[in-house]
Amino acid sequence: MSDKRPAWLAAVLWIGAFVLVVAAVGPALWLLLAALQPAGSDMYSFNQRPTLRNFEVAWNDGRLGIPLVNSVLVTLARAGLNVVLAAAAAYPLARMSFRGRDTVFVLLLCTMMIPDQVILVPMFRIVVGLSMYDTLAAVVVPFGVSAMGIFMCRQAFLAIPASLEEAARVDGAGSLRTWWHVMLPLAAPTLSTLAIFSVIGAWSELLWPLVVLQSPEKLTLPVALTTLMGQFSTNIRAAYAGAVLALVPIVAAFVALQKFFKPEMFGGAVKG
Amino acid sequence: MPRLRANHPVTPYAFLAPAAAVLGVFFLGAVVQVVYYSCTRFTAFRGPDFVGFENYARALASERFWRCLVNSVAYLAVTPALIVLSLMAAMIVEAHARAGRWLRLIFFLPVVTPTVVAALAWKLLFNEDSGLLNTLLSAAGLPRAGWLSQHPWTLLSAMTVTLWRGFGFYMMVFLAGLLSVPRELKEAASIDGAGRWGVFRTVTLPALRPSIVLVFVVSSISALKVFDELFVLVKGAPITQQTVVPLLYRIAFEEGDYGLASAVGLMLFVVILVFSLINLRLSAGKEGASA
Repeated sequence: MSDKRPAWLAAVLWIGAFVLVVAAVGPALWLLLAALQPAGSDMYSFNQRPTLRNFEVAWNDGRLGIPLVNSVLVTLARAGLNVVLAAAAAYPLARMSFRGRDTVFVLLLCTMMIPDQVILVPMFRIVVGLSMYDTLAAVVVPFGVSAMGIFMCRQAFLAIPASLEEAARVDGAGSLRTWWHVMLPLAAPTLSTLAIFSVIGAWSELLWPLVVLQSPEKLTLPVALTTLMGQFSTNIRAAYAGAVLALVPIVAAFVALQKFFKPEMFGGAVKG
Repeated sequence: MPRLRANHPVTPYAFLAPAAAVLGVFFLGAVVQVVYYSCTRFTAFRGPDFVGFENYARALASERFWRCLVNSVAYLAVTPALIVLSLMAAMIVEAHARAGRWLRLIFFLPVVTPTVVAALAWKLLFNEDSGLLNTLLSAAGLPRAGWLSQHPWTLLSAMTVTLWRGFGFYMMVFLAGLLSVPRELKEAASIDGAGRWGVFRTVTLPALRPSIVLVFVVSSISALKVFDELFVLVKGAPITQQTVVPLLYRIAFEEGDYGLASAVGLMLFVVILVFSLINLRLSAGKEGASA
């Protein structure tokens, strides 16, 4: 059908593509432009020499190095934990029969129904009660697994032929080795999808770290950026530079891993 | 023939234990507590002391709660905009045989952008004195708008950020849905004399129905839970121009009233639940969409 597309439709499609590209990258490029201009200058005098001074101020005075490391640690730990815990919990739910299985399903569905924001206060109190307040573990552990992730892994395991698993069992592999050597490699596409969604979510997360972190040396990047905005209210361009610094690692990771981003992975894997 | 090794009776529980510990302690534990807290006088300094439904009565009697609730419901307007924009993006990507792959990647860039960064970038555009939007409005001889300080512009600005950050994600959901549209069906309709619009309306759109329902449910629930955009964009604006989750944050962590915040949280849950049930009823009513 596409070969005999009329000219007006082709034009509309190209214009639409152009408008959406400008909308998608425009705001971030405008932010970069603002961050590269000298402090206190007029945004619309485009003949100024770009400067990295704001980045120096954000890095040195804003002390963004520590939050950057914290964010990397938290993000990787969250993704790793989410994959391992979900894949472990999904295995018996896909392949074994045991007492209490139905109860587990009902409880998992319950956790999907209730938004995190609703239970923000008691979650915060539990973190305080466990002496985890103001630690990176408080950002990682409570969201170390999700029912959505467990269901995604279970779906992937169900699609693996039972004969493969039985072959491993016949060769004398126990359930742990079967899980690790047979089930996990075969579910790799789903596991990487889960890891990617965890990384995007954890890198961006604001509300929960804002609630459970306090010391400047414990903050993650999004929280550090919100404090930077107050701190640099007179030189807001330093905050813009900080925002660009927070954007670079995730975009770099995305571009490096772009071949994994296929529409297929969004078929069933959506969480609100 | 070698005997198949049977599972030890403890095995399934051992696999489940780590996830169960995390969800049990932090999630189910919190769910039980939030119900109790909502019925107590409980502040950062004292409590919890049981007071029955006092917190609910206080919330329902306060003007700011109703204002924020109305704003949260108004925020749902972002959902149809998201559906239209992401569906358009998906159709554009699908139509460009070669460039489609690149367009898809570019449209996904806002999704990986941290919400704080996205909100800061838009705050620059919405700046009431020197932002690009007001500068263009002035240049066109139109009145400037109070994007970051006046109702309902504050909500509209935050919704713009939600829309910007979300459309690439839902576009991928629609692209996944488009993969399931049978090519032969399109060709058959085309041979039967249906024009482009006809094929879209009679074949593509019905095939996308499950995706549309999915995007509708997911994006409207996340609209009711919005926080980050408002926290960065319109932090200075009065809370009555914001929504329920920012109100909950303020009550709990700036005013230290845990009991009242828990009651507000549970009422938000009821709103989300009712909304989801209505949704489910409506989408089930019009023949089984499997979302």
